[in-house]
Amino acid sequence: MIKSIRLFFGAATLVLSAVASKADELPALFAERVKCVVAVEFFTETELDRRPTIVGAVVADSAGTIALPATAINTFVQPSKLKDFRIYLPGRPVSEYSTGEYLGQDPLSGWHFVRVEEKLRASLVPVTMFSAKATASEPAIGEEFWGVGLRGKDEDFTPYFMSSRVSLVQSLPERTAIALAEVASPGLPVFDRAGTFAGVAIGGFGQTFVQYSRNDRGLPIMLLNVEESSVFQLAAEITPWLSRVPASVTGRPISWLGAYGLQPMDPEVASFLKLSDKSGCVVSEVLEGSPAEAAGLKNRDIILALDGRPLPRLKPDRIVVNYFERELGKRKPGDVVVLTVLRGSETVEVKATLAEQPELMREADRTYFEKLGFTAREFVYGDGVVRRVKVAGHKGVVASFVKNNSPVGTAGLRPDDWILEVDGTEIKTYAEAVEKLAVIEADAARTEFVLLTSRGGETAVLRVKLK
Amino acid sequence: MKPATVKETPLSSITRKITLLTAAFFVAATAVKADVSRGFTHLLDAVVRIDVREESFDAGARRFTSGIGSGVIVSADGLILTNAHVASPRSVELSVTLASLERVNATLVGWDHWTDLALLRIDLAEVKRRGLTFTHAKFADSDDLFPGQTVYAVGTPHGLTRTVTRGIISNNRRYFADNRGVKGYETGLFNTWLQTDAAINPGNSGGPLVDEKGRVIGINSRGYLGADNLAFAIPANIAKRVVAGLEADGNITRSYIGIVPGALLDLEGFYSLKQNTGLLINSVDPGSPAAKAGLRGGDIVLSINGAPVDGRFPEQLPPILNIIASLPVGTAVKIEVKRGDQTLSPELVTEKLESRQGEEWAFEKWGLTVRKVSRAYARENQLDDDTGLLVIGVQPGFPAAVAGLNRGDIITKINREKITSLDVAKAQHAAFVAKPAPTLVEAETDRRVSLYILKP
Repeated sequence: MIKSIRLFFGAATLVLSAVASKADELPALFAERVKCVVAVEFFTETELDRRPTIVGAVVADSAGTIALPATAINTFVQPSKLKDFRIYLPGRPVSEYSTGEYLGQDPLSGWHFVRVEEKLRASLVPVTMFSAKATASEPAIGEEFWGVGLRGKDEDFTPYFMSSRVSLVQSLPERTAIALAEVASPGLPVFDRAGTFAGVAIGGFGQTFVQYSRNDRGLPIMLLNVEESSVFQLAAEITPWLSRVPASVTGRPISWLGAYGLQPMDPEVASFLKLSDKSGCVVSEVLEGSPAEAAGLKNRDIILALDGRPLPRLKPDRIVVNYFERELGKRKPGDVVVLTVLRGSETVEVKATLAEQPELMREADRTYFEKLGFTAREFVYGDGVVRRVKVAGHKGVVASFVKNNSPVGTAGLRPDDWILEVDGTEIKTYAEAVEKLAVIEADAARTEFVLLTSRGGETAVLRVKLK
Repeated sequence: MKPATVKETPLSSITRKITLLTAAFFVAATAVKADVSRGFTHLLDAVVRIDVREESFDAGARRFTSGIGSGVIVSADGLILTNAHVASPRSVELSVTLASLERVNATLVGWDHWTDLALLRIDLAEVKRRGLTFTHAKFADSDDLFPGQTVYAVGTPHGLTRTVTRGIISNNRRYFADNRGVKGYETGLFNTWLQTDAAINPGNSGGPLVDEKGRVIGINSRGYLGADNLAFAIPANIAKRVVAGLEADGNITRSYIGIVPGALLDLEGFYSLKQNTGLLINSVDPGSPAAKAGLRGGDIVLSINGAPVDGRFPEQLPPILNIIASLPVGTAVKIEVKRGDQTLSPELVTEKLESRQGEEWAFEKWGLTVRKVSRAYARENQLDDDTGLLVIGVQPGFPAAVAGLNRGDIITKINREKITSLDVAKAQHAAFVAKPAPTLVEAETDRRVSLYILKP
């Protein structure tokens, strides 16, 4: 899930001396701006465990809305499994935490939103309080920025100061500044010298080193600092995201085109196809029943423009795919998009009406059968896509979790196995599967049952011994 | 008790096998001093060491590797039986060291990876010209073997020519099948194996397992690495049939219907079957004759062409599969199948059995080595059809690697031409060699399609 973009730095020197001239103002600016920063802790409950996560987050508005970075929560996790959101003020005793409610994930930014309970709201200041009055200009090369870092829970999330200079500004596809050294903890805001909100730090950027040791002679390794980041997305682009609080915990509406496996067209290919200055995305597969299919988009089409605007050439090449997906994300189901595509050697216009995304895995119903030792999950559209089966008229359920050494685990069931039959009877719906399995689970006299499962296109009969 | 090793043995080493030792020094053997029969002495004169140089396509270019194995001469006209993983169509140089320590060349007559057997013929003209002599071994009936019977393995372990080791038959009907067992080719589906505790090491491969009279009862093939004295040999009765087939045709043609069986074990109750009846179908290959006839996982085969089958235990599966495999390709087979309370009797027509491993090739100017996508590979990986070439190696700095192609990519088109066969790609490569020009390649990785340019 983590984007890893390698960046090569020269010697990263902290330019603390330059800060000295105005350093007297910084403690005050810092103390004021720490109020738009919190630490958020929550628990992901699975069938067997309860895993804590702690992330830094920014205050999005004055209604107690907190924005968490996209990577805070795995997209497959059901919102109902996220429990006990706790919001901590930096530097305050951790025993004074406030509770929060999960509001969902915004499909465009990927950000997750949490609303903190009433009592804490007065202590918080939205980061937009520090936004530039006029449209801010882009950071200049060498310009100095500073941000907030948070220590660990055992240190009461004590805030600390970081600062660096901008080395490069890139479109990834959002305008993103890369500093010489770490400027803030991921998910936390960055400010300019005057204290104006300049952006939010994002994690996932590694640096390549060569490791020498007794055993390794020059082994390239990538190191990722998970506590601090030197990369931040610029405020001008992401400030609107702060108000994209989902209407429901599902994050819907989520627009859907159904062009699967988009791959960037590299410049060599573009020039071979006599599209030398153009950028594009290759459509690997057009999904069954999707708006793309209805519009007549074909496998292997190369998308060159969206609504008449050519796709930009961004570096690295694969960023164009993120760009295209972001652009679709800005549109709503029902919106019409016009795609200019290269098909073979001709250019074709395809007009598609975006639809609502089919049910996602995180929205699928599931039931845990503790005695049998697995969770049966509803078969959703995405399951058909990954298994390359026709989704229309699908059947069966998916084992989303299998407990080790449980009756089904011993019989050979594995996570992601597709269950087609229970006791020789075809499973047509999720409800039918749950009903049958519940009967087996409740029957204390049952000694065994039989599953027909499918994995990697091959079926197998599994005999599950219950006694 | 050996607590440390007990933990390691059961599962992890199951698929490991003895392969050829890549390099070893020739060690002059001393005479075997043992109280052995005349037959045994005769056998020793029929065992050979085999030095192989073969092509490999793993590194983005055609490379050569060498190895050592063993073999046994089985006819007066110089046929040598060895393992398919010792001598294969990839072998470019085969030389045989006779009991007299003289070396002669040999050629491949045929190979059959399903039973891990290959047949070579010694260069008789050379033998005659140099006045060399050899004997040939006799087979015994491997069905008569019993667990506990003393046996000897003869071969070239780790290059130690003419090594004899002794053990017993540990099990005379061992089942294991390995889908990538012989250089990536399937093995063991149609036969059971002899298991012995006679020491078998890399280099023993292809050598004979013999009884006290020096008669060949099996061909040593593999063992668990890291285990003590768990070795396997192909039974002589299977080898005899394969030798006959390979001598006649160079290969063994088998029939295929596309069922993957599972052992029924104690499922008779569930399927309301009489004891010792039926073969459980675990899976049916999409598009296969069995699929076309409507068979599916969970069906029970009761009889094949009227003859009842009993597939209760894993050991019973290979002989049943062999019944189908032994039918001529294109034969109609009547299969009686039980599904729930119904009994169906579909008739299906067999197809030719093919390996999942396709032909390999090197495109030197592109720095690219490929393997043809086979029907079985396409099925396993849920590809639409068997179009394409699987990239198995790229050479750094060459056009394919520079363009960004990687191992595991499947090349589906070159210059917009669909790669339906290796020849299509060879023609494209030849055109590139004749007149180097940027070449457009379409490849798929994990269902994601990318375009690449191979630049001269």
